[in-house]
Amino acid sequence: MEMQKLYLLVPLAPLVGAAIAGLFCRVIPRWLAHTVTIAGVAVACLASYVIFKDVMAGNTYNGPVYQWLTSGDYHFEVGFLIDQLTVTMMLVVTSVSLMVHIYTIGYMQDDPGYNRFFSYISLFTFSMLMLVMSNNFMQLFFGWEAVGLVSYLLIGFWYTRPTAIFANLKAFLVNRVGDFGFILGIGLVLAHFGTLDYAAVFAKAPELAGNTTLALFGEGEGVALMTAICILLFIGAMGKSAQVPLHVWLPDSMEGPTPISALIHAATMVTAGIFMVARMSPLFELSNTALSFVIVIGSITALFMGFLGIIQNDIKRVVAYSTLSQLGYMTVALGVSAYSVAIFHLMTHAFFKALLFLGAGSVIIGMHHDQDIRNMGGLRKYMPITWITSLVGSLALIGTPFFSGFYSKDSIIESVALSHLPGAGFAYFSVMAGVFVTAFYSFRMYFLVFHGEERFGKAADHDAHAAHARTDAHDDHSAHGDAAAHHADDTHAEEHHGLAPGQKPHETPWVVTLPLVMLAIPSVIIGYIGIEPMLFGDFFKGAIFVDTEAHPVMEELAHHFHGAFAMATHAVTTAVFWLALLGVALSWFFYMKRPDIPAAIKSRCGPLYTLLENKYYFDKFNDVVFAGGARLLGRGLWKGGDAGLIDGIIVNGSVGLVRWFAAVARLFQSGHIYHYAFTMIIGVFVLMTLWVTRA
Amino acid sequence: MTLAEMQFQTPELRLASAEIFMLVMACLILMLDLFVKDRKRTVTFVATQLTLVGAAVVTFATTSGDIGYTFSNMYVGDLLGDVLKLLLYLTVIVVLFYSRGYILERPQMARGEYYALTLFATLGMMVMISANHFLTVYLGLELLSLSLYAMVAMNRDSVPATEAAMKYFVLGALASGLLLYGMSMIYGATGTLEITAVAERLYMGQVDRGILVFGLVFLVSGIAFKLGVVPFHMWIPDVYHGAPTAVTLFIATAPKLAAFAIVVRMLVNGLIVMAPDWQMMLILLSVLSMAIGNIAAIAQTNLKRMLAYSAISHMGFMLLGMVTGVANGDARFALNAYSSSMFYVVTYVLTSAGTFGMILLLARGGLESDELEDLKGLNKRSPWFAAMMMMMMFSMAGIPFFVGFFAKFSVLQAVVAAGYLWLALVAVFFSLIGCFYYLRVVKIMYFDQPTNSLPIIAPLDMKILMSANGLAVALLGIFPQALMSICAFALLRSL
Amino acid sequence: MEFKTFVFYFLSAILVFAALRVITSRNPVHAALFLVLAFFTASGVWLLLQAEFLAMALVLVYVGAVMVLFLFVVMMLDINLDRLREGFWGYLPMGAIIALLMVGEMGLVLGGNYLGLFESSVRQAGADESNVQAIGRLMFTEYVYPFELASVILLVGIVAAVALTQREKRKNKSVNPSQQVFVKARDRVRVLQMPAEKRD
Repeated sequence: MEMQKLYLLVPLAPLVGAAIAGLFCRVIPRWLAHTVTIAGVAVACLASYVIFKDVMAGNTYNGPVYQWLTSGDYHFEVGFLIDQLTVTMMLVVTSVSLMVHIYTIGYMQDDPGYNRFFSYISLFTFSMLMLVMSNNFMQLFFGWEAVGLVSYLLIGFWYTRPTAIFANLKAFLVNRVGDFGFILGIGLVLAHFGTLDYAAVFAKAPELAGNTTLALFGEGEGVALMTAICILLFIGAMGKSAQVPLHVWLPDSMEGPTPISALIHAATMVTAGIFMVARMSPLFELSNTALSFVIVIGSITALFMGFLGIIQNDIKRVVAYSTLSQLGYMTVALGVSAYSVAIFHLMTHAFFKALLFLGAGSVIIGMHHDQDIRNMGGLRKYMPITWITSLVGSLALIGTPFFSGFYSKDSIIESVALSHLPGAGFAYFSVMAGVFVTAFYSFRMYFLVFHGEERFGKAADHDAHAAHARTDAHDDHSAHGDAAAHHADDTHAEEHHGLAPGQKPHETPWVVTLPLVMLAIPSVIIGYIGIEPMLFGDFFKGAIFVDTEAHPVMEELAHHFHGAFAMATHAVTTAVFWLALLGVALSWFFYMKRPDIPAAIKSRCGPLYTLLENKYYFDKFNDVVFAGGARLLGRGLWKGGDAGLIDGIIVNGSVGLVRWFAAVARLFQSGHIYHYAFTMIIGVFVLMTLWVTRA
Repeated sequence: MTLAEMQFQTPELRLASAEIFMLVMACLILMLDLFVKDRKRTVTFVATQLTLVGAAVVTFATTSGDIGYTFSNMYVGDLLGDVLKLLLYLTVIVVLFYSRGYILERPQMARGEYYALTLFATLGMMVMISANHFLTVYLGLELLSLSLYAMVAMNRDSVPATEAAMKYFVLGALASGLLLYGMSMIYGATGTLEITAVAERLYMGQVDRGILVFGLVFLVSGIAFKLGVVPFHMWIPDVYHGAPTAVTLFIATAPKLAAFAIVVRMLVNGLIVMAPDWQMMLILLSVLSMAIGNIAAIAQTNLKRMLAYSAISHMGFMLLGMVTGVANGDARFALNAYSSSMFYVVTYVLTSAGTFGMILLLARGGLESDELEDLKGLNKRSPWFAAMMMMMMFSMAGIPFFVGFFAKFSVLQAVVAAGYLWLALVAVFFSLIGCFYYLRVVKIMYFDQPTNSLPIIAPLDMKILMSANGLAVALLGIFPQALMSICAFALLRSL
Repeated sequence: MEFKTFVFYFLSAILVFAALRVITSRNPVHAALFLVLAFFTASGVWLLLQAEFLAMALVLVYVGAVMVLFLFVVMMLDINLDRLREGFWGYLPMGAIIALLMVGEMGLVLGGNYLGLFESSVRQAGADESNVQAIGRLMFTEYVYPFELASVILLVGIVAAVALTQREKRKNKSVNPSQQVFVKARDRVRVLQMPAEKRD
């Protein structure tokens, strides 16, 4: 009983904070807004820790909290499923959220929307917790949509910037595509299982898996039910976790303030898709087709999004593309049935990627909101803490032995190597190549920002502005919108961009650096501590289901594992390590030693560069085919259907009919009492005639 | 059996203690008022409210959950009755609070008799709710009606009010006649007027169905008048419009609960065997009501009149739940269907109280402010109350996650479960038409320029109550289950 | 045909005729008197049913009290029945058709068993049984609840009548000389200035 109250406390504490900060955002002072929200999240974090201890002791829980609505045989409930998987996510979400809350005090210091911002991020924490703690699909969907909503609000937080508005609209629309698949999947589950409760669905799944098919066209060949459900659910995950081709919104989401880029678009929300697939492991295990689909999508994302990171000049976009690539890694791990590895990577990634984002944010503060890495350089002298922590983050990201990222990423690569599912071969190539690419762009950014020549504070950064405008102005909106974006960016640039000539960057206040240090610690050690229990122990037993007969990846992986220390020392003999080292070395050579080489490559490989510059033309394609097509269709429907048929005949026609009828009814309501009485008599008469003659 | 042999049992008064308490207090308040010198009648007002609270305490204390009969089986005490009575007291308390400011500005209404009549009307409704005899149904109804006629006419110098009272009285008398005639036919067919006994005799068979159906037509007509469904609805717009708004508020809320109760008592408890017949009749009335109510409401420019037509359509919708209890001789869904109706009527009363309360809130200085025009730009004058009104309108329109949505949803579910898909479609269609005029109110409040920029002044108690009312509409939309369970449980223990 | 039956039809015929005249006669006093006649014949029918007490009560209460009061009112007020009945002839055809159809339907239902002269199931009371006693016993035992309710209804009737007709009475009509002395011209006389209106 006590524990159940604690479960309830975890999501409710941030909600209360969000409500106080949000409802009274115009009234309460700033210190109160951040105090209540931080207190709320801190309470949630603490409670999650207690629950973690409790779950470690073997006390899992699955039960309803509140019955919302009974509709026939369906019960719509709010319920919690607390097991190892949930509790891992709860710890990650609350601790990263807590760090981000503290960090925000420094980052948003001068922003007029200070209270609103705190309210949003606390609300996000609540929604995310509802998502991970749910024990049924309905609540999952609620959390899913709620985090989407908050993400939408936060991307457009600076709502006076047209680029922010376009970005949040884009995120909203792309996520609708994913959610469409997701809700279809949930609908299929409800239709075939008759319940939305996880436990009941999982229990019934094997029996339905074998012989149920869905006929797509008439009576012909069908698709296995499980495959259909899993792929539809995964389409939802593709939207939320930004997998190709639904990834286009994530880079643009960097329009939002940096703290939320760290919290939502790196550490937590975008991993909701990964979490969901891991949670649904009993379903995914039943369909090899769906798993192969997952592998292919994941490996494409892992490699090709990494390439894009190489040519970005906006510090946040580099990190954003690396997030996309890492999400691809996690997806690949899911596809090869190494769910626990995916979750493990999710956790380590949450820490080091939040660290990298917050570090980038710290640099941005130091640079007075100039985000172009070509204007930086040599910052390590001025911002030592930021420098060290960013270095730690980058090392973790590229998988340096003993750092957290090494353990998770290496396990993914090994498990892909061991898988025999269709698509695994391609995936192995992708993740291997990805290692090199990751190392290259991470250290490109690191060197350009912290080392080398000091390029900031130069008056003549007009060129940089133009470049910045180009990155910001998206290809997916109309020429008119484009012009507006340029314009806004220009005014924005005039307001506060970069350092004045002669001005030096400075280290950020302690509220910013403290979270960096706090996140740097797990970024280093969590992998070493976590790998043995999480991957090879019984940690996820009961929470994640793997069909070891069909997909023996984890078992084989366990054979190769001889302890965390041995794994790290052994790494030196593997190709992975050398690929990463090569990436670092090459970036050092290119950007520190011979900056002319990248320029030369850029001019030689024009078409390739243009392809990358335009992000493989995904945005263009969407703009022309989907947006253009939709506009064309819309115009057609508007002119022909809406204006002609609906407005002209149905609406105006029925309005006319209703008006006429209403006028007649008014005429009856003459005010004469004998008319009224007579109407009543007629009523009795009609009833009498109808029934008496029948009887 | 001769008279001398007749066994008489002393009635068990405990069951009817709430009614007795109410009657005694009403008489006492009538006398107490003679000694009140205060023009505002604060003492009378407080005493009335305390009486209602006291009645609630008595009802609550005597609730047993079992079905008990007394007064020679003319009175039934059961959970359904107790729940409805508690809701009734609550409604009347709220109504009196809302009306307080309004009647103080009209010296002819601000008299002790107003409160006494309110209590007598409440007593009448309590009698209806607990009736187990056609005669008591009728007497309760008359007690209620007579009090209402007088209350409508109370503002003597207002011509519309007097006219409305006259119409209400004459048409009400006609309806009473129909009801009585129907009852006499049922007596003729079954030889008893006791509701449970009628049900028993019908079960045995051996009754003249022809005569029974004939009586049923009149009975349904009489009930239909009380509910205000087409074609017995003609009084509703005129009376709602003409009556002082405080009285309209009263008529539009509490009697709906009592009307629901007598439908359950007479048709379900007494004449369930005749369900196929009365269900068809009610379907006819219900469809007509939804059609005429929703469509005619569009043409109205007066808010009270618009709400009157909306009341007609809502009562039509509520009846849908009553018509789907027995389908093809199968009463499996009866509980679901009737409890959905009960939920509908309770939430309608809640929402209706809020909307008419808002008209009272806007009316100031002895003037009505019941035209749609008067709502123009309400958002600029008071964003909070505009938001409350908006929630009320959304709920009435049945927009999800307000309580009205769940009410409609559960009724429709019962309709579909009983196999009347076409009926559900018709209901949804007319509800969609109905959305138009509710949303028009919202549009007027939010997008039109105010013609009157005076801020809204209201006593604190009214503000709090109005806010609570609005929030209840929203909260019950999010947490409808508790109320739904109460309705289902009360019916389960009483049918 | 039994004598009782004959009496019944005789009285009923008069009753129906009197009732019709109540609504058709042009003179309101006549109409009221026809109503008295209707009550009388109705009480005669009740006598046939051995409801002596009710018959007496009907005569005493309705004829003796209510109708006399009613006649006073009718005679004191100048009611123009013709004006009240303005639309009567216009609505008559429609009303008559509906009325006839309804009567026809009623006949259909009630006919067969009920129009036929079936054996009355009314219990024949012995000569020693007191009608008054029987009514009183029933009223105060089995029907005590409706009886009390009826009394409450009457009470509400009184309250309503008082509430609707009572005006604040002026305590007395004596003048107050001291106030009279202080009256100024402007308290009593108001000079209005109105712009001349053009007549179109």
